Amino acid sequence: MIYITQSALNDWLNQIAQQRILIAPVAEGSSMTYRQVSDSSEITGGFDRPDMGIKGAFLPATETLFTIQSGNGSYTISDNVPADEQVIFGVRPCDSRGMLALDALFIETEPVDIHYARRRQNSVIIGLACSTMGEYCFCTNLGSSPTDNQGADLFLTKSGSGYWLDNITEKGRSLLGTYAIQQSEPAHSRPPEIEHSANASLPDLEKWPPLFADEYWEAVGERCLSCRICAYVCPTCRCFDIRDETLPTAEDGAKYERIRCWDSCLGESYSQVAGGHNPRVAKGDRLRNRMYCKFYYFPQQHGPIACTGCGRCVEACPVNIDVTEVLQHVLEATL
Amino acid sequence: MDFEPKIITFLCTWCSYTGADTAGIARLKTPANVRAIRVPCSGRVAPEIIMRTFDQGADGVLVLGCHIGECHYDSGNHRTAKRIPILRSLMTFTGLEAERLRLDWVSASEGERFSRIVNEFTDTVKQLGPIRWRVENSYQPYTSQAYTAGNTPIIPGLLTKTTRMTDQISELNPQITANIQSAARELLDSGQVTCIIGYEIGTHGRTRPAFVHSPEETERLVWNQDCTHNLTTYLNDKLTTGSNGGTRQPIGIVVKPCDSRSINVHLAENRYNRDDLHVIAVSCNGIRQGAGTTAPTLSTLTTYQERCLSCSQSEPAVYDTYIEQPRGIDNITIEPKGVDSQTAQLDSLSPQERMDFWLGQFDRCIRCYACRQVCPSCDCPTCLYERDDSLWVGLGIGINEKRTFHLGRAFHLAGRCVECNECERVCPVGIPISLINRKLAQEMENIFDHSAGEHPHPPPLVTILGGQEHLP
Repeated sequence: MIYITQSALNDWLNQIAQQRILIAPVAEGSSMTYRQVSDSSEITGGFDRPDMGIKGAFLPATETLFTIQSGNGSYTISDNVPADEQVIFGVRPCDSRGMLALDALFIETEPVDIHYARRRQNSVIIGLACSTMGEYCFCTNLGSSPTDNQGADLFLTKSGSGYWLDNITEKGRSLLGTYAIQQSEPAHSRPPEIEHSANASLPDLEKWPPLFADEYWEAVGERCLSCRICAYVCPTCRCFDIRDETLPTAEDGAKYERIRCWDSCLGESYSQVAGGHNPRVAKGDRLRNRMYCKFYYFPQQHGPIACTGCGRCVEACPVNIDVTEVLQHVLEATL
Repeated sequence: MDFEPKIITFLCTWCSYTGADTAGIARLKTPANVRAIRVPCSGRVAPEIIMRTFDQGADGVLVLGCHIGECHYDSGNHRTAKRIPILRSLMTFTGLEAERLRLDWVSASEGERFSRIVNEFTDTVKQLGPIRWRVENSYQPYTSQAYTAGNTPIIPGLLTKTTRMTDQISELNPQITANIQSAARELLDSGQVTCIIGYEIGTHGRTRPAFVHSPEETERLVWNQDCTHNLTTYLNDKLTTGSNGGTRQPIGIVVKPCDSRSINVHLAENRYNRDDLHVIAVSCNGIRQGAGTTAPTLSTLTTYQERCLSCSQSEPAVYDTYIEQPRGIDNITIEPKGVDSQTAQLDSLSPQERMDFWLGQFDRCIRCYACRQVCPSCDCPTCLYERDDSLWVGLGIGINEKRTFHLGRAFHLAGRCVECNECERVCPVGIPISLINRKLAQEMENIFDHSAGEHPHPPPLVTILGGQEHLP
């Protein structure tokens, strides 16, 4: 654990940005998101949790998996496995912990997703503790806290005009080895950690199956718009769709790409099968699936729950569908 | 080497394609840049086709059809005559040079006219140079490329919408709340309706849509300055036996005067039976800025939504029960639409600047479709831009696809958008969608004297020419 000043941090980030892709929170219009930056001055300071998480740095909204070029009776397939090394700065604990849930699926479960795994391998996550809980945050209810460093490689805690820097993983150590950072005498003592309350408001797994036929889902679903905001702003929603698309090409023959892009179980077409049947035809069915996925299916199949308590979905939902309200209902239900 | 543009020409098979033949027989020169596509009627050339053509890299699109009155399908070219000016206005507003899209009429015998138009058009496009519409590397963040409009708005202050302080805080309006509750209770008690769609207070102090099925539940219903949601968007599910499993039962709904216009749009499109709907209209005192997404705070003064400052709709367009209250907002002079000055600001820019502005905005889009889902006028069972076999847009969440979706949606709303601005409110990344919708609403007003939802009349783009239009 070392103490660094803001200017030492800026110098260090500038050094990194020259050689690696540096992704950091920036303000864009009225919204805040993670973007590639070339200089630390572009980074927005004093931010809350950005509107979008860092999921996109590992599972981009759309990526080309490979391209196919045909011509002269033959086909050439070019893989598109990412090779760039990236450093992500200013990651809030909810987002870095979300990566552990994604790892559980994409890396720890066979088959390993090579695109995701390669990006994970080539990335260093520099976490940043939150000083307070935001209005919609509920990470402490899910066994985490604003000072939780799980999932981060390096972890910063703001203290006065500088930061405490914790070295969490080997990857973090190696980044500090490559790019030296200037230490200072601590001007302040380290702020206290916020206690984790162990799964205080999380229903047990057994609670979920009997509630599958609960009328509650239809009632909440009535209000749901079936948009995908909640899934796309979520640090742990990871469903995707795959399609081959044609590309304009100047050469003879034809060019195609296989893309994968975000998809969400809230969309009506998500569960539709060949022949047109849709097993989750009503809005309530789809909403229920999202909740079950987060708190029942995913922990059952992969271990961690697929929710980090960032509260983005609660904040962004246009019709105030609130995951904490749903959890409360499940906790209190006596079916 | 001179720039040789790629020009796609859509030719109606009856007149213009034969006209091109006539030109050929007369040995009139036509440039080799022109790639002809033969269609049964110029009315077949849907705006989606034209947008896709530009998306795929055409430098210019020329649509030629029969003269008005000579259409072999009677009124096919009426549709073309109405649509293309609107499409041109939309694409120009987002950065295309207007000259790159041209509509004209060529009859079978007018070989010379065909040759002249095609030569003129090719010269025009040549002078404009290569098109800059399709963005390469569609899936990369737009801002990291050559264009940098995304970070800072091109026009300082364009996105800072004018707001005015309200004199009241958005607390519950007890009188109106009681009136809504008693009207709802009566309707449910008498069995006239099976469900009332209204507003309730949800979590975090936010007001949200409520569905009330029994007289006892009516106590949940409220009225305050946060009732921003246009609830008519739920009517499609509730009143039609749609794919969402809705069942047709009579419904009651709470609307503001502005929302009531959506019902007229629905009725004009025969979406449901008017008798199945009981409209409880509430006269509105202006809605708070931030309503629906934030809680009203008593410590900070709140502000009106911009659209409320220029709202002249004091009376509902449709209602069965009308709950009136003194209009507090009358104390404020009705201002010219603030959004009009913003569209004018954008109009005054160069096409390049406009395109930079819009690509910077669309870049943030995550294609969550919230704008579409919340829209009371967007009601296709499966969106054209979300079909599995869609030919009009790729599946990817890339800048080209996002722009195509937004522009296509805007076009489909031309003459049907009541400007409730719900799309802009729900956007999680703050894209100023209302500017595009407003631009097209202006065009509909200027060209067709049409304002969506005033009457249950079909929108101009689905009707034939009446001779009253001010077509450019």
